[in-house]
Amino acid sequence: MDPLALFTLQVLNALSLSALLFFIALGLTLIFGIMRVVNFAHGAVFMLGAYCGVAVQSATGSFAASLLAAPLAGAALGLAFERSALSRLYAREHSAFLLVTFGLALALTEAIRLVWGADARQTELPEALAGIVFVMDEPFPVYRLLLIGAGGLCWLLCWLGLQRTRLGLLLRAASQNPTMTAALGNDVGRVRAMVFALACALAALGGALAAPLLSASLGLGSNVIIDAFVIVMIGGMGSFIGTVAGSLLVGFAQTFGNFYVPELALGMTYALMITVLVLRPGGLFGRPE
Amino acid sequence: MKLADPRLVLLAIALAGALGFALPGHATTLLTEALILALFALSLDLLVGHARLTSFGHAGPWAFGAYIAAGQLLVWQIPLPLAVLIAGLATAVIAIPVGWLCVRTGGVTFAMLSLAFAQLGFAVVFKWNAVTGGSDGLAGLPRLGLPAGREVFLLFVCGVLAAAYLLAHGFVTSPLGRIVAAVRENEQRAEALGHDPRRIRLVVFVLSYFLAGVAGALYAGFAQFVSPELFFWTVSGHVLVMVVLGGAGTLVGPMLGALALFYAEHELSALTESWGLALGLLFMVVVIAAPAGLMGWLRAAMGARAR
Amino acid sequence: MNITRRPALAALLAAPALSGISRAQGQPLKLGVPTAMTGTWAALGSQVVRTCRLWAKAVNAEGGLLGRPVEFLFEDTQGVPANCLRKAQEMVERDRVNILLGLMASSEALAVMPKLADWNALFISSVNGAGSITAEAWVPNAFRANTSGPMGARALALWLRNSPQTDFFSLSLDYAWGRSSVETFEGLLAGIGKRSIGSVFAPVGTRDYSSFITRIRQANPQALYIALTGDDGTAFLRQAAQYRLFERMPVVTETVDMLFTRPAGDAAIGLVGGSRYSFAYDHPANNAFVARFRAEYNELPDTYDGEQWQALEVLRAAVLKAGATDTQSVVAALRDLELNSIKGPLKIRGCDGQAEQQGFVVRVARREGFPVPAPEVIATFSAAEVTPACRASNFT
Repeated sequence: MDPLALFTLQVLNALSLSALLFFIALGLTLIFGIMRVVNFAHGAVFMLGAYCGVAVQSATGSFAASLLAAPLAGAALGLAFERSALSRLYAREHSAFLLVTFGLALALTEAIRLVWGADARQTELPEALAGIVFVMDEPFPVYRLLLIGAGGLCWLLCWLGLQRTRLGLLLRAASQNPTMTAALGNDVGRVRAMVFALACALAALGGALAAPLLSASLGLGSNVIIDAFVIVMIGGMGSFIGTVAGSLLVGFAQTFGNFYVPELALGMTYALMITVLVLRPGGLFGRPE
Repeated sequence: MKLADPRLVLLAIALAGALGFALPGHATTLLTEALILALFALSLDLLVGHARLTSFGHAGPWAFGAYIAAGQLLVWQIPLPLAVLIAGLATAVIAIPVGWLCVRTGGVTFAMLSLAFAQLGFAVVFKWNAVTGGSDGLAGLPRLGLPAGREVFLLFVCGVLAAAYLLAHGFVTSPLGRIVAAVRENEQRAEALGHDPRRIRLVVFVLSYFLAGVAGALYAGFAQFVSPELFFWTVSGHVLVMVVLGGAGTLVGPMLGALALFYAEHELSALTESWGLALGLLFMVVVIAAPAGLMGWLRAAMGARAR
Repeated sequence: MNITRRPALAALLAAPALSGISRAQGQPLKLGVPTAMTGTWAALGSQVVRTCRLWAKAVNAEGGLLGRPVEFLFEDTQGVPANCLRKAQEMVERDRVNILLGLMASSEALAVMPKLADWNALFISSVNGAGSITAEAWVPNAFRANTSGPMGARALALWLRNSPQTDFFSLSLDYAWGRSSVETFEGLLAGIGKRSIGSVFAPVGTRDYSSFITRIRQANPQALYIALTGDDGTAFLRQAAQYRLFERMPVVTETVDMLFTRPAGDAAIGLVGGSRYSFAYDHPANNAFVARFRAEYNELPDTYDGEQWQALEVLRAAVLKAGATDTQSVVAALRDLELNSIKGPLKIRGCDGQAEQQGFVVRVARREGFPVPAPEVIATFSAAEVTPACRASNFT
C-alpha cells in the first residue's frame, strides 16, 4: 500500500474513533466539571443507548429514529436518577456519588440483560450509509465519515451553546464557582439536573452511533468507561476543549499504537495518562484541584 | 465501651477464628475469604478514610502482593507466613515510587492515577506470559509452611488480620497518625506548622499498600490461584464500596462493610440471576439512608439506646 | 421452574410440576454448573444453562439417571476464576455435588482443576478450548468432551489443503486462547504446503478494529485466519465488511459460532471455519436433538448448546456404565468410554480425558428457510485426523 494512502487511512480511522470517544467523554466531563461527580454508570448509559438504538431501528426500520430515541432514553434516565438519588447527595462527600453511581451501573447492566437477553443485538445500516468512498484508491466506510461529521457537529453545537447561550454561560459559571453562581440567584439544582440529563443523552447517543460498528452487547459498558475516564483526565476535567484534545489524543494513540506497536497497546493508554497527570495534574487544559 | 474499642475488635476477630471449629467446612472457607477481604478493606481505609485520598486502584497492591506470594510459593517453596510478609514488604517498596508520583496530586486526579497504575499492572501481568502465566494465571499454588486444615488456615488469617488492625490502629492514634489527620483537615495550616503534606501522605500510602499486599498474598495462599483479574478496576471498585458502605475513617466500619458486601453478594447471587439489579438498588438505598455507612448507623442505633 | 441452589425452596415451588413431569424417584443427583450467567460471557453461559435444563427435563421424563432425578445447581461466576472457585467449593462441600460441568473460561477451569482431587469431584469440560487442559495442566479427574481449540484449527487446516490460497495472515486477541490458536494454525500451515506471512494480536478489549483491518490490507495476504469469538468476532466481521475486506480475501476461523455470526448479519457470509458443533451435521442423533431443542426453545442449537448436550450424554453413558455416581466409579467408567453422540462416534481417551471425535468444517451462507445467514457443513474429518496425541496440545 502506498505510504501516503496508508497514513491518510489511519488518520481517518483515528478521527472516527476519536469522534466515537468524544460523545461519551463529553458527557463525563460535563458531570465532572459541573457537579464534581465521578459517574461510574456512564458506560452503562452508553450501552443503554446502543440497545435502545437497535431496538428502535428494528421496530421502525429507521436509523434516524434510533438516533433520536437513544438520547431521549438517556436523558430520561439521567433526569430520573438525578432527581431521585443524586440530588440527595450533593451536601455529602464525594464517596457517596461513587457508591450511588456504582449501584446504578450494576442495576442498569442487569436491567438491560433482563429486557434484551444475553445475546448481542444488531441491525443493518440503511443503504445510504452502508457504502464506501475511495480515499487514494483505498475503500473507506461512509459510516465512519458520518461519525467524524457527527463528532464535529456535536463539538460545534456544544461550543456555540457554551459560548453564545445563557445556559452555556450558566454552565461555565457553575463549573468555575458553583457557590457564587447559586448566590447570584441561579437555580443550581435545576442546572445540575439538566447537565446530568444532557450528559446521559450524549452518552446514549454515542452508544446508538457505535451500534452499527460494535453491535449492542453486555460487555459494552465496562469496556468504554475506562477510556472515557482516561480522556477526561488527560484533557482536563470540566474542560470542553480538553475533552476534544483528549479524545483526539487517545483516538490517535490507540489507532497508530495498534498498528505499529500492538504488543504495547494494552498498557499504552494508561502510561499516557500517568505521564500527563504527573506532568500536569489538572490535565492538559484543566486546573488542578 | 465504645463500638470501635480495639479490645472489642480483637475479641471479635478471635471469636471469628474460633468459629472455624464450629462451622461446617464450606462456611469456614467462606469466612476465611471474607476476613481476607476485611483486611483488604482495612488497608484502603487508611487512604480513603484517614488521609482522605480516594483510590480507584487499590486492586494494584492487592494483586501485586498475590503474585509475589504466588512466585514465592511456586518457585522458591517459601512457607506461606514468610511469603506473606515478604509480599507485603515488596508491595511497600513498590509503593514508594508509585506513591511519590500519586500523592503530588489529590482528589479525582489521585484516584485516576492510582487506577492507571493498577491497570498498568494488569497489562504487564497479562502479557508477561513466561513469568506470570499470562491471561490464564498460575494455578496449583501449594499452601506451604502451615499445618493442614482449613481451621488452622482461618486462625492464621485471623492472626494476620489482628496484627494488621493493631498496626493500623496504632498508626492512626500515634502522633504521626494525628499529623495525617491534621493534613487531611487543613493542609495549609499543617504546612505552616512545619509538616510536609506530601511526605506525610506518602507514609500513609506506603502503609496502606503494605497491608493491601499482605491481604493479596493471603488470598493467593487461600485460593491457591492467581490471575490478572485480580488487578482489574472492578476489584478496586468493590473494595472502595466496602469501605464507603462500612463507614470510611473508622477502621472497623470497612471491615464490617467487607463482610456485609461479601455475604450479601454471595447470598444474592445464589438466590437470583438478577443479583446485580438487587445489589445496585441496595447500594443506592444504603448510601442515601446511611450517610456514614454501617458504622454511622450502628453508632446512631447504640447512641439512641443509650439515651 | 427455576432450579436454584436451594433444593428445599425449589422443591417447594416445583412440587406440583415435578410430580407431573418426572417419574424418577429417590435422592436427586445434583450436578454443579458454576458458569457465567451475567457479564461479558453471558451469551455463552445462557446456552450452557438452557441445554442443561432441556437435558434434565428429558432425562427425568425417562425416569432419571439410575432411577434418580437429576437436578442442576446453577451459580453465576461472571467468568471470573475467583468466583468460580468459591461457588464450586460451596457446591462440592455444602451441597455434596461431586460432578462439575459448564465452567466457562479456560482460566476458571485451570483454577478449579487442581482442587478436584481434594474435593473428590470430577469435571467434564464442554466449553473450554485451551490445549493445556488435556496437556500440561491435566489432572486425572478432569475430562474434555468438547472439541478443543487445536482440533478446530486442525480440521480447518485439513480442509485448506485443497484451497488455492497459500499466503495466510492471522489476527486474534492478545490472550491465551488467541495466541495459542494462531500458533497452532501457523504450525499446521507448513504441513499443508502453505505459509504464514504474518500475524497481529489486538489488545483485549479492542472495539475498534480499523487499524487492524488496515494492517491486514497492507500485508495483502491471500487469505485471513481469525481466532475471535463473541462480541469480538461480531465487531470484527461487521467492521471488516464495511471496509470491503472480504472482497479481497477469504476469511477462515478456528471456530464458527452463531452467537457471533448472527449479529454480524451479511458480514458473515462466506466465513469458513472449524465447527465444534453444528446443528447442520446430518446425523440421526443430532437431528433428533435439534428437533427437541427447537421444540423447546424455538431456536437452532448453537455451538455451546450442542457441546453441553454432548458432555451431558457422556456423563450419562459413564454413569450407566459404572452403575454408580460416586466420583471414582464415574472416573473409571469415563476412561476409554465409547459412545455414539450427536456428533458421531466418540471415545474418551484414558490417558488425558480428551474425547476423540470428528472434526467439522462449515461455511456461513444464505440458506433457504433461514432468516439469517447460517452455517452449512462442508467437510468432515475423522477423529484420528483431528485429535492431537495424548497430552499434547499441538500437532508435530
